Amino acid sequence: MNFRRFILSQSLIMMAGSMIFPFYVLLLRNVGESYTQFGWAYGLFALTSAVAYPVIGKSADQLGDQLLLVIYTWGMAVILLFFPLVTEVWQVYVLQIFMGLLGALQKNTEKTSLARHVRKERAGQQIGAYHTWTSVGAAIAIILTGYIVDFLTIGTIFYLASFIYVMSGIILLKKPEQAASQ
Amino acid sequence: MNKKVIVSFFIGYSLLFAGSIYKYEQKLLHPVAEDAGRLLPIAVKSIKQAEGEKQLQDIVRRANKTGDKLSIAGMQHSQGGHTYYPNGTVIDMKKYKKVLRFDPQQRTITVQSGATWDDIQQYINPYGLAVKVMQSQNIFTIGGSLSVNVHGRDIRYGSLIDTVESFRLLTADGHIINVSREENEQLFSLVIGGYGLFGIILDVTLTLAKDELYEKNTRMIDYKEYTSYFKEVANNPEVKMHLARISVAPDTYLKEMYVTDWTLAADQSGLAAHSPLKEDRIVAAPKMLLGLSRYSDWGKNKFWELQRVYMERGNGELETRNNVMRSETAFMEYENGSRTEVLQEYFVPVNEFMDYIDDLRTVLEKEEGFNLLNITIRYVEKDEQAVLSYAKEDMFAFVLLINQGRSSQEIDQTERVIRKMVDVTLDHKGSYYLPYYAYPSMEQLHTAYPRSQEFFRMKRKYDPAERFINLFYEEYGK
Ligand SMILES: Cc1cc2nc3c(=O)[nH]c(=O)nc-3n(C[C@H](O)[C@H](O)[C@H](O)COP(=O)(O)OP(=O)(O)OC[C@H]3O[C@@H](n4cnc5c(N)ncnc54)[C@H](O)[C@@H]3O)c2cc1C
Repeated sequence: MNFRRFILSQSLIMMAGSMIFPFYVLLLRNVGESYTQFGWAYGLFALTSAVAYPVIGKSADQLGDQLLLVIYTWGMAVILLFFPLVTEVWQVYVLQIFMGLLGALQKNTEKTSLARHVRKERAGQQIGAYHTWTSVGAAIAIILTGYIVDFLTIGTIFYLASFIYVMSGIILLKKPEQAASQ
Repeated sequence: MNKKVIVSFFIGYSLLFAGSIYKYEQKLLHPVAEDAGRLLPIAVKSIKQAEGEKQLQDIVRRANKTGDKLSIAGMQHSQGGHTYYPNGTVIDMKKYKKVLRFDPQQRTITVQSGATWDDIQQYINPYGLAVKVMQSQNIFTIGGSLSVNVHGRDIRYGSLIDTVESFRLLTADGHIINVSREENEQLFSLVIGGYGLFGIILDVTLTLAKDELYEKNTRMIDYKEYTSYFKEVANNPEVKMHLARISVAPDTYLKEMYVTDWTLAADQSGLAAHSPLKEDRIVAAPKMLLGLSRYSDWGKNKFWELQRVYMERGNGELETRNNVMRSETAFMEYENGSRTEVLQEYFVPVNEFMDYIDDLRTVLEKEEGFNLLNITIRYVEKDEQAVLSYAKEDMFAFVLLINQGRSSQEIDQTERVIRKMVDVTLDHKGSYYLPYYAYPSMEQLHTAYPRSQEFFRMKRKYDPAERFINLFYEEYGK
């Protein structure tokens, strides 16, 4: 995993995430049916993240960022396959717990990777580049989704996003020597 | 990362992907139908939007070939699965809502059955006309209202059936017939109050009333005075509409009442100024207090007291007939995943009122966990035109709003209490209303509706294949 691959995979993640986000909120809202439950769904997410951060932090140092990021992307890919099927609140709660875990994984590892890849003297420029590309990914996704929702079911968008997460994982996995030649 | 791990991931992922898509398609193929009560979600085969007469005829004829079961749905505010059936096709009438004819001189209107009272009010209000009989709220469809033979705040025009001139019916064999007191008259008293079991009501001709300006007055009385109070009201032809509430707050439980009358205003010159139709708005204070009364006795007491303040402030207020008949519903909306709010309605002869309340109180005082939120009382005049008629005499109608859980245990719990209440009602020569959840027993149905067996026999005579079917029929009709 070199910096460019990292940026590319993160851009894809941002794309997939932005694609599903509005529908994700809609789903929570529809299944939850009361603001109390809506609150709980988000609360559980934040709570699991909070509990997970210390563990994730340590394992990032032991297992390496690459592995964690791959776990994140593929974990998300799997979780998203369940979203179209949700009908009950408890299912949303369970998914939210997993999303909380994975979310923490992503946030933490994104930062540790940046910290490890970025050279102090050029940190501003490099992190700037990172944010530029990931935001471009998000923007493209949001605009495209706006066009395709009319033609696809909401379920399809989750499947598409799941697929993008898998791709993002594959990019991260490419052998370092191949990457090194760039 | 280990190759094996990667390969297993891809295999697992592909399987999950395929499985998920398969399940998802199943889900799309079998939409879940559910009514406002949300106690009976059920997978149906499909939901078809009504578009036109021909298309509806095609649906019925095709179903006769394929053996599909059909259910008819309006706004689905009935609460006992009256609008759907497992694996059946739901015909959704909501978009079938054009005004076909309107004659302001004769005061008649012909509308398609998916139109709501609101649609009619918007249409006729500019002509100074109003609906004669409808529910207190205007969110329901004409087809759904006819099929349950509704009643409301009006105390002068009888029940809805009196205001129906004629309608057209798409029958189970796919024919379209006229139904009125002269033509196919047997069906007139079967389809009105017929719960969608005799065919699709296509369009309806209703007679209308003049829009008028009313003065609204509310006062508090003790329940013991209510019967005589109401008799005075009934004898005063100037009072056009009436509504009462009886307390469910612990401090004044089934004793204190607020009674509201709408009396023809002495001066009608303000009619034009008051005639713009009011829109539903959420009044924050009652919404909050209704919310609190769901959870606590304190909330119930406060809600009851606040209603008084509200009503007294409204005394002497002028309101048009049309506006009285579009009362707020939004503040009642209740969203909760595990709980829901259901209605019950009991009819009791006017002279039985006091004893009935005493007996009801005795029963309910023992039911601690039963969360009763509100009771309103209206009047229905004796009317036995409909085969399933609930007004065997001049009756008071008690509408009960009940907050309950959706688990099967909680449903059983509610059923137990409701059956007791229905027994009390039947002991006082009363009956109960059928558009709600099927809590009452078969035996209770037969007592409340002596002609119910005849009704279901007729259903099978007109629709031998049981093409039109719903959970209500499944529960009581077979
Ligand atoms: C908050 C609330 C307040 C209420 N207040 C009152 C009240 O004040 N007075 C009163 O009398 N009732 C009242 N009701 C009951 C209400 O009137 C009935 O539930 C009514 O049937 C609802 O109309 P809908 O359009 O939702 O009909 P739906 O629930 O959709 O349908 C009701 C029945 O009518 C049949 N049906 C619908 N359309 C057609 C058609 N075109 N042809 C043939 N059959 C058809 C359906 O198959 C079903 O059996 C109230 C209900 C609620 C939820």
